[in-house]
Amino acid sequence: MARKTQQVETKLVSEYVKNQYGQFPHITKQPLGLPSPELLVTEGYEKGLRMQRPLRFEVDAIVMHPKWLILIEGKVWHIKNGVGDLIAYRSLVPFTPELKQYLNREVLLELVVPWTNPNLEIMCRDNGIRLQVYHPEWINEVANRVQLYGTRDYRTAREAKLRDRELLGLE
Amino acid sequence: MVLQNIVILEDGKPARLHFSDHLIEKRTITDPNTGRPGSRNVLVFSVDRLDGRAVDARYSTMAEKLAVQFEPYLKDKSYKNYEIIITQNGEGFQRRWSVQFIPFASR
Repeated sequence: MARKTQQVETKLVSEYVKNQYGQFPHITKQPLGLPSPELLVTEGYEKGLRMQRPLRFEVDAIVMHPKWLILIEGKVWHIKNGVGDLIAYRSLVPFTPELKQYLNREVLLELVVPWTNPNLEIMCRDNGIRLQVYHPEWINEVANRVQLYGTRDYRTAREAKLRDRELLGLE
Repeated sequence: MVLQNIVILEDGKPARLHFSDHLIEKRTITDPNTGRPGSRNVLVFSVDRLDGRAVDARYSTMAEKLAVQFEPYLKDKSYKNYEIIITQNGEGFQRRWSVQFIPFASR
């Protein structure tokens, strides 16, 4: 079956972090939180941590600034969810074994979105989250595609394209 | 120079790499579920350092989830300015990669 999804938010955050914080060490897709103690006991520390990796919450990026540990979450569609995600992630930082060496730094929260609205700005301000609007050219194309998705012409053309890709063995 | 041609990541074990170049290759891959061959884009990096040792090796990935984390660094090949630590975990669709970029200037 031909692929139908696209990693939009990961691309947005990777680009933003490179442009904004490329001079500092940074991690993309960092798992957060405490692994289950039972599993660490039964399976050992390393294996236990490994087994839990897909189940742990994951922040899109972390920047190790000399003064701050900056947690970055990118949202393209459900932009409001980024506020709640970041607040929850901040509470997990002190319990994340991989971040132990950075706990002396102040934690900053940054929400990266391609578009905003006044209510999102109020929520971010109220929760101490820095709101960054990052709108690369390619995001317009993604937005147009999603807007057109519900139309019959677009769906017909897309189904034909996926069928051809499968017939030709192309990804 | 360590003789090692292909870098294979171990689950949960961070690998520290330096990439000197990259290319996107088209490969014919047989789908393990359907048994049918298909053409896939593969991101291939030339690796000249692995865990502190000099190597002449390649690291490749077909996973969009991982490739997209490198995408902004491909056009200008700015990955050359970083040491990159990749930690891979999980199987199949549950596979995840954490990628740490350490700029040379900050070391």
